[in-house]
Amino acid sequence: MGSSSSNMNHIPDAEELMQETGFSSAHLLRLYERFEFLDREKRGELTPDDFEAVGRLALNPIGGRIIGAFFSQGQETVDFASFVRILAHFRPADTNRRDGAPQDPANSRTRKLKFAFQLYDQDGDGMISRVELLQVLRAMMGIQVTEEQLQSIAERAIQEADLDRDDAISFDEFKKSLEKVNIDHKMSILFLR
Amino acid sequence: MPSRAGPHSPAGVGKSLPERGLLLLLMVFVFLEGSVLPLGAASSPDISHKENVDNHQVAAVVHNNTKKAFPVLDLDYKHVQTPFEISLWVLLASLMKLGFHLIPRLSGIVPESCLLITVGLLVGGLIKLAGEQVPPVLDSRLFFLCLLPPIILDAGYFLPIRAFMDNLGTILMFAVVGTLWNAFFIGGLLYAVCQIQPANPNPLHTLELLPCLLFGSIVSAVDPVAVLAVFEEIHINELLHILVFGESLLNDAVTVVLYHLFEEYSGQGTVTVMDCFLGVLSFLVVALGGVLVGAIYGILAAFTSRFASHTRVIEPLFVFVYSYMAYLSAEMFHLSGIMALIACGAVMRPYVEANISHKSHTTIKYFLKMWSSVSETLIFIFLGVATVDGPHAWNWTFVTVTVILCLVARVIGVIGLTYVINQFRIVKLTTKDQFIIAYGGLRGAIAFSLGFLLDKNHFPMREMFLTAIITVIFFTVFVQGMTIKPLVELLAVKKKQEAKRSINEEIHTQFLDHLLTGIEDICGHYGHHHWKDKLNRFNKKYVKKCLIAGERSREPQLIAFYHKMEMKQAIELVESGGGVNLPSAVPSTVSMQNIQPKKPPPAKPAERALPQLPRGREEEIRNILRGNLQRTRQRLRSYNRHTLVADPYEDGFGDFLLKKQKMIELEKKIKDMNNYLTVPAAPPDSPTMCRARLASGKDSDFKPAQQQKGSKICPDPQAYRGKPDSDNVPTIHVDLASPQSPDSVNMMDEFRRAGQQQKHQQQEENQGLMMKPPSGQSGPKKPGEADSDRDQQKLTRCLSDPGPSADEDEDEPFLP
Repeated sequence: MGSSSSNMNHIPDAEELMQETGFSSAHLLRLYERFEFLDREKRGELTPDDFEAVGRLALNPIGGRIIGAFFSQGQETVDFASFVRILAHFRPADTNRRDGAPQDPANSRTRKLKFAFQLYDQDGDGMISRVELLQVLRAMMGIQVTEEQLQSIAERAIQEADLDRDDAISFDEFKKSLEKVNIDHKMSILFLR
Repeated sequence: MPSRAGPHSPAGVGKSLPERGLLLLLMVFVFLEGSVLPLGAASSPDISHKENVDNHQVAAVVHNNTKKAFPVLDLDYKHVQTPFEISLWVLLASLMKLGFHLIPRLSGIVPESCLLITVGLLVGGLIKLAGEQVPPVLDSRLFFLCLLPPIILDAGYFLPIRAFMDNLGTILMFAVVGTLWNAFFIGGLLYAVCQIQPANPNPLHTLELLPCLLFGSIVSAVDPVAVLAVFEEIHINELLHILVFGESLLNDAVTVVLYHLFEEYSGQGTVTVMDCFLGVLSFLVVALGGVLVGAIYGILAAFTSRFASHTRVIEPLFVFVYSYMAYLSAEMFHLSGIMALIACGAVMRPYVEANISHKSHTTIKYFLKMWSSVSETLIFIFLGVATVDGPHAWNWTFVTVTVILCLVARVIGVIGLTYVINQFRIVKLTTKDQFIIAYGGLRGAIAFSLGFLLDKNHFPMREMFLTAIITVIFFTVFVQGMTIKPLVELLAVKKKQEAKRSINEEIHTQFLDHLLTGIEDICGHYGHHHWKDKLNRFNKKYVKKCLIAGERSREPQLIAFYHKMEMKQAIELVESGGGVNLPSAVPSTVSMQNIQPKKPPPAKPAERALPQLPRGREEEIRNILRGNLQRTRQRLRSYNRHTLVADPYEDGFGDFLLKKQKMIELEKKIKDMNNYLTVPAAPPDSPTMCRARLASGKDSDFKPAQQQKGSKICPDPQAYRGKPDSDNVPTIHVDLASPQSPDSVNMMDEFRRAGQQQKHQQQEENQGLMMKPPSGQSGPKKPGEADSDRDQQKLTRCLSDPGPSADEDEDEPFLP
């Protein structure tokens, strides 16, 4: 795009962000434009209301959780850097390591899974309890299922995954239960390369 | 061609007598084929001639009376000729399939397709030796209308949609661009080579550009039959399998268009730009039209199946007939019949499966596999026979250049396309992948049939073409087919994973789908997930309501999956000797509703068939049985068309114990639901009696029916019915027949089906027939046959007792 070079100057800490997250300048620019689009009041930060303005998120069963994931503990606003850092999780994994890339990039398999895990684990205790799992299931399946069915599914899921029998799923157990799934493929958005 | 003087000794050592007998029978049979068929082909059969050869089917013919006596026994071959020959061929094909697996070493080295072509060659040779005319077996009409559709339908119905859709872009690129590239490259270079021949009069000089291009387009298409046949046996990972296979299916549209285009214009000699443009348009029409026709028929089939609840017996018929009509309709308009068939099967499947009963599901599965199996075998045999038939016009230059060009074009095409495709893929294709894709580009009978269709008048070089096509086919099938397996091993290409989806995977995958859709929405990016989500919503909101009967239309996918798993567990549980309690989470879905008890259940609360054991005794029994749990039968897990696609019902029992424990705990949860199912023991020849019903010692599981609230259950061994719908707690209706007859429905229809499948598979295993089970798992899981039989007998004896009292000595039957 023609004015790309000038716009890059508007982005605070562009170089650092690119280094840290691995986004190219074109991608960073695109994200910045999106950020500005969402930021209707031009404050340079996003609030939950801005996210909710994205209409389709309301249809999403876990829309609320996703929005919540952008705002780390206690914060009420999201600046561009945090926005980009969260989205960096969804980059496809780099096949060739660039020099100077951080050791544990945001889009590594573990980090991706950790992000997903945190969406389950709303109270942040590092475990997905039965209650939390039930909440997710209920959100995903809506009104068509009975309570007993939900309970049975949650029960079964925990039994399958819970190896140390503490009636909750830890991050390692979560990782293990997804070992056959190609997370890189499932949790990547192509344009974010 | 070796002539068979007599039966040859089997290759293996220590063959048992029945096997030798079978091999002998096969040889005699092949002999017979050679002798009977030319007789059929000969226009005026001579009765005395027949008498000399057809000994075993000709009875004495009364001839010699001067007055024509009333023929007590007569021979009228012409009356039954065609069906008889067809049946003979089919029988030959089936016996060949059997025969190959009696020689295990051979089937390990040489892929089945090669062996079958060899048999075809032999039969053709026999016929030729007998001096008769070889019947034109690979007639194009027969091939395209009868032999090809079952294979394609089988492939389309069981197509892994998720993998296919994920890689659709790649597949399309390979199919369309790759085939175009191949066709033009081969055709063009062939023409060039033909032109630069040295000055001596060479028939090749007369070859024009357009026929060359036509030939190029015929020979460049990767053949689904050959790919299926060869890839089946190498168990490659799903990605590569779907890439090559998908390509072979989708390139049909390209082939059809190119073929018709060049055939049309070969007479006229030139192709204008307008024609090219029309060609492109034609391609779009052919491809999309085919898919549309298929989708329409698929929806019709799904819609019909919605109402088929009262005539379950003909449900499979709808599936087959609608699909075949889709194929024929597409062919009628010169659209791509293969794509129509694939679209029909893929569209129809999720809805039909939600509507039909389990028996129908099994029927469809088995019939499709059976037909496609026989079809494939026949095709290869016919290829061999047609090769012998000729007519051939061998031209060294043409043929060798063709073969070389095919290889070169394929390799270059794959490399070039992969380079482009990898820019757009998340999971890139590695060099190994590319090699396998290039190497797996096999040609097959479709190319031959297309060549056969050529009109001799327009294409004087038809025979040369046919010879070259056959050579290419032989080369790819034999050389590439035989060597691909060791190459896969050598390159350590990823093999097919035993994908047994756990509920966790399913939940998390759906969760991730939602997550990614949300992130895409936040980014404002209309990506893969966005469209998938939209499609799902549309599907859920409108389509499912129309096409799925009853309340299953509103069932979320996760629930359906969960129910499937629970059902599978229920089957396992019951098969293992009569689980007392099944969790009521087993759903009241349509499939369960379909099980109507054949006889109305008697109202009397008869004595339970299961013994009521004291608690301590139960523990002991459980412990003992648990010890035997280690040796569960190994299941055929890999994806193989000739056994059935691995699906939840046929999974291994690797974590069987875990499942049992979960069952117990699930039962704990639903203790106050009064729908326990008491099922009597499986019949004596159920192979699974050694498995513990309830392995964990956590819970009291032998809860006799009487102890339950209200004794709402009639625990009659003859006919069992759970309590019908008590306030939307799911129920199971069970249908029982006499437990002694091996073929009867012993518990639920599903259980018998699963049992038969297991029996079937166990038989296969025992004879080492089809699959090579993953070696690592065979050790600890080999069935303890002796133990199982013994336990089974004891268990049966015990369980068929009419409820002994609590303090009776139960020690003996259970001790191994």
